[in-house]
Amino acid sequence: MTAISPAGGADPGATVPDRPLLDVRGLRTYFHVMDGTVKAVDGVDFSIPPGGTVGLVGESGCGKSVTAHSIMRLIDIPPGEIAGGEIWFDGRDLLKLSDSEMRHVRGGEIAMVFQEPMTSLNPVFTIGDQISEAILLHNDVNKKEAAERAIESLKAVGVSAPERRVKQYPHELSGGMRQRAMIAMALSCNPKLVIADEPTTALDVTIQAQILELIKALQARTGTALLLITHDLAVVAETVQTIAVMYAGRIVEAGTVDQVLLAPQHPYTQGLLNSIPGVKKRGRALSVIKGVVPNPFRLPPGCKFQPRCPYAWEACSASEPELLPAPNGAKSRCYLHSPEGAGRREAFEKSVAATMESVGG
Amino acid sequence: MTPTASDAPADFEVALVSLNQWQLAWRRFRRHKLAMFGAGLFLTFVAIAAFGPFILPYEATNVPYPLKFCPGTTISANLGCPPFNDGHILGTVGGTQEDLLTLVVNGARLSLTIGIGAAAFASVLGAIVGGISGYFGGWVDTILMRIVDVLLSMPLLFVIIVFAKVFGYGDWRVILLVFALLGWPGIARLVRSLFLTLRTEVFVDAARAVGVSDLRIIFRHILPNAMSPIIVVTTLSVAAFIVTEAFVSYIGYGVNAAYNPTWGNILSNAQNDILVGNWWWPLFPGLAIVLTVLGINFMGDGLRDALDPRSRE
Repeated sequence: MTAISPAGGADPGATVPDRPLLDVRGLRTYFHVMDGTVKAVDGVDFSIPPGGTVGLVGESGCGKSVTAHSIMRLIDIPPGEIAGGEIWFDGRDLLKLSDSEMRHVRGGEIAMVFQEPMTSLNPVFTIGDQISEAILLHNDVNKKEAAERAIESLKAVGVSAPERRVKQYPHELSGGMRQRAMIAMALSCNPKLVIADEPTTALDVTIQAQILELIKALQARTGTALLLITHDLAVVAETVQTIAVMYAGRIVEAGTVDQVLLAPQHPYTQGLLNSIPGVKKRGRALSVIKGVVPNPFRLPPGCKFQPRCPYAWEACSASEPELLPAPNGAKSRCYLHSPEGAGRREAFEKSVAATMESVGG
Repeated sequence: MTPTASDAPADFEVALVSLNQWQLAWRRFRRHKLAMFGAGLFLTFVAIAAFGPFILPYEATNVPYPLKFCPGTTISANLGCPPFNDGHILGTVGGTQEDLLTLVVNGARLSLTIGIGAAAFASVLGAIVGGISGYFGGWVDTILMRIVDVLLSMPLLFVIIVFAKVFGYGDWRVILLVFALLGWPGIARLVRSLFLTLRTEVFVDAARAVGVSDLRIIFRHILPNAMSPIIVVTTLSVAAFIVTEAFVSYIGYGVNAAYNPTWGNILSNAQNDILVGNWWWPLFPGLAIVLTVLGINFMGDGLRDALDPRSRE
């Protein structure tokens, strides 16, 4: 999660060998609507190394999907606006590309898998036509070769009888099959990065597991980087290397899977983990994070989580904390990790230990 | 469960035949008796228009040997002769003594050409403008929709009179063009409203995420999804344009009867003779209009049911 800002913008770190594949810096995406401005994403920084896997976690409305759509530049302008920041991908700032340059990036270099496999395929075209179209757009092949590659890509995602599947329409396929077809389409042009926006949310649990296994296996085999967006902590725990937790348009905690999920350093992350039902919590009421997600038009002063946070004190409503380094190496946007918060950290850590105990691994 | 069951190919989920939306629609349309009847009626008139003039022995607007009296009577042939008269199955018309069947069959050509042509032209224009307007939104949408508003506020009749004066009286191509130019705004509004909902579908985002260009998304990805209502409206507007043509020609601002008969101008010429008692003259072109329009409307209703994705059986 380091953001080494290269000076200037002409040739950002072209010679740096371990340059991240995707480097999002200070991204701000606002929506100007009738009632005011919604700052859906307000200063998000994260990066993905080539072949790396990052999970973006948060509850509905925290801005994780908007972040993904901003990277792909799929935000409708107006009412949307990318108000600030840079999205460096493979040496270019995506926000500065022309529309036609961006079209080559979309699908060719960054592919996206959507949440709803029921609606993300066009009902009037066959599966084969839709995959072929993606291949034809980004490769110098004729229609016949594209059709053959469509069959191959369906085979690669474990679809049975792909020769017949390509002739079928989306309504003839089950949800899991459609999501496999979407993944086949995403991978058909060998992208460097795949953004999966809640790829398993609309599927039932057994299919979810299959699709996650598939994504993991394909990611390992093709070496493509993965940005996995989900509200399901179990999904990221199994699939990615690093996690960024979002709340109210900001990243509040970032670190490796073990750091974030085994020793959360932000009260919000702790709250999320605490609300997972577990065997040891049988018979007890599910614990929830008290309060509600703040109104996007009237965000609270200081830390955005402060009104719901059991550890908040005056400093929290006075100003918003930066992403501060936590003792375990992760980063947390919380004053508990500032020198002033040191005295209160003990209570937090005890509580985290209790949470981890009750969740039980 | 017997052990042999596992020997069968495990292929239950693959459907035997894959039907696309048009095949499914055709299957539903076929079961709609009234619609099939309507389609048959309409296609009959199309066939009559296409082949009729080659089969009939007479030529429209050309009567080489005018008669003095209707055969076997002392009625002046100049007033027109009743049906089944010396080979004139539908009789002849007054004045020029043209064969009414020949006139109606030849009239079918232009009446149908104008109806179908204007509807098709209007739909193509409407789909392009409505699609662009609904997809892009913003100022593009504002400008295009204000043009639509202006065109929809223009009265068809006066525009026709003006066009007829400017571009030459009675040219059927001018009539067709005016119909199309005044007909597309309604279709554009429909297509725009369809696009406003369809453009928020996930598959549109998915297509953009694959790198498909905007114009390709509009015409290749969204338009096929909007085709059903467009087809229904186009079909029904064929009927509307046939009636409008008849009306405009009837009041004398349509196609010139001296060169090209249409059902409208045959009726127009017949209006004085209704009082004389020549019932056949207005009856047969009128019947042709009614039957064609009825057939198209039945067909349109059937298409509406067949193409509606919610009416799956």
